Amino acid sequence: MGKLMKYEFRKTMFSKIILLVITAILEILLLAGIFLNWENGLGWGLIGLTLCVIIGIFYIGLESLMVFHRDLNTKQSYMLFLTPHDSYQILGAKVLENGLSLLLAGCFFAALAAIDFSVAVAYLGGFKELINVVTHILKQISVEIQFTTAESLMVVFAVLSVWLMTIVTGFLAIVLCATVLAGRRFSGFVSFLIFLLLSWGCSALTNRIPESLETAVYYTLYILAVLVLTVVMYLISGWIMERKLSV
Amino acid sequence: MFILASEYGHITAGTESKGEKRKDPMLECKEITKTYGRKTAVDHVSLKLEPGHIYAMLGPNGSGKTTLMKMAAGLVKPNSGGFWYQGEPVGKESRREIAYMSTEPYFYNWMTAEDVGKYYKDFFDDFSMERYQSLLRRMELTPDMKTKTLSSGMMAKLKIAVTMARKAKVFLLDEPLNGIDLLARDVIIQTVIEECGPDVALVISSHLVDELERVVDAAIFMKEGRLVLMGDVEDLRVQQGKSVTDLYREIYGHGGEM
Repeated sequence: MGKLMKYEFRKTMFSKIILLVITAILEILLLAGIFLNWENGLGWGLIGLTLCVIIGIFYIGLESLMVFHRDLNTKQSYMLFLTPHDSYQILGAKVLENGLSLLLAGCFFAALAAIDFSVAVAYLGGFKELINVVTHILKQISVEIQFTTAESLMVVFAVLSVWLMTIVTGFLAIVLCATVLAGRRFSGFVSFLIFLLLSWGCSALTNRIPESLETAVYYTLYILAVLVLTVVMYLISGWIMERKLSV
Repeated sequence: MFILASEYGHITAGTESKGEKRKDPMLECKEITKTYGRKTAVDHVSLKLEPGHIYAMLGPNGSGKTTLMKMAAGLVKPNSGGFWYQGEPVGKESRREIAYMSTEPYFYNWMTAEDVGKYYKDFFDDFSMERYQSLLRRMELTPDMKTKTLSSGMMAKLKIAVTMARKAKVFLLDEPLNGIDLLARDVIIQTVIEECGPDVALVISSHLVDELERVVDAAIFMKEGRLVLMGDVEDLRVQQGKSVTDLYREIYGHGGEM
C-alpha cells in the first residue's frame, strides 16, 4: 500500500512543486511588503496567497480525480491493475494519498498564515487594528467571528474533510462511469448527475447535526460524519471495481 | 494431439500419463465469455495451459486473443465463466506469478527505462533488476531513456525487457513482435525462449505465424471470439503433414470453414 501511495504522490508531484514555487514567490512578495513598507507588494502578496490556498487545495483534489479517470480509462491502468493488489488497495492508496496531501497542504498554509500574521503584527502595529476594524464590520452585518485557535483548526479540518468526501464521491462517479455505465450513451453526464445527487445526499445527512450544539462538539460530530460517509463511498467504489471493472 | 475445439468441451495441449494424480491445471478457463455491448469478444472458450510449453495464440484482429489474455491477467472481468490459476480464480494473488505484456504502451509518461525497472522491482517479488539491466543492454536501450520519447520498436523492446526480467510462472505476451524490425525480432524471440523452462508456460499472440512456428510447441487458433483449434505443433506436422502456417491459411484464408 505504501508503494502504491508513493507512486500516487509521484503522479501529482509536478503540480505540487509548481504550487510550492508560486507560494514561495508570493510569500517573498508579502514579506518584502511587510519589511520594506511596500504596500503594493503586501497587497499582491496577501491576495495572491489567499488565492493560492483556495486554488491549491481545490486543484489537489481536482487533479486526483483527473489522475483516477486517466488510470481507469487509458492503457496506463495496466500499471496499477497488473500489480498484485486488489481494487480496495488501489483506490485506498489514492484516497489516503489525497487525504494526506490535503491535510499537509492545509497545515502548511495554516502555519504559513499564522507566521505571516505574527510577522505582520510584529512589524506593522496597524495590522492588528486593521483586523479589529474587519471584525467590527463583520459584527455590524451580523457575522460574529469568535473562534479560538482550536475551533479555527476544527473549521480547517472540517473544510478539508468535506473536500475529501467530495473527491471520494467523484471517485465513485468515475467508477460508475467506467463500470455499470460503460459503453452507454451519456454515461459521463449520468455519472455527473449521480455525483451531484450523492453530494446533495451527503450534505443533507451532515446538515442533520444540530447547530445548537457547542461549537467544538458540533465540529467533532460533523468531521466524524463526513469521514464515515467518505469511508462508505470508498467501500462502495472498491466493491464495484472489484466485481465490474475491466481496464 | 491436435483437436478441434468443436469436438471437445475442454482441451489441453499438455499430456498426462496414466495413473498420474490429477492436479489443477496451471492456467485454465471454463466457458469464458466477454461481451462489449452487442459484440461478443470471447465466446464460451474453455482451455487449459500446462507448464513447459510455448503456446502461439493465433487469429486475425478481433478474434478475441487480447481479450482472452486480459481476462487471464485479471484485467478484464468476464460476463460468464472464468479463469483459474492453479485452481484459484485469477486476481490479486495470481498476478504475483502471471506476467502480462500488453501490445499497447502503458508506462507512465514521466518514467525513464530505469523508473520502469524500479516500479516493477517495487511491485513484483520475482523481478530481477540485474536481469532487467542485462536485457536493456541486449535491446540496446539505456536506463536514462524517457518512455514518452521512445519509438514503437524501442517501446516494444522495453516492454519485453521488463516483462521477461520477472521469474513468472506464466508469461502472456500480446503481439510482442508488432512494429519490430527483423533483427530486433530475433533478439526478442531469443529472450523469450530463454525464459521457457519446465515450470513455465508461455503464451505469445502474433500475426507473424511463420516466425512463431519456429519457437512454439503448441498453437491456439481463435476465430470470431471462439477457440477453433488447439494442440501440439509437432503432432500436427507428423499426423497431418501440415505446418501451423498451412493451418492458419486453412482456417483464416479465403473460404476458411472452421
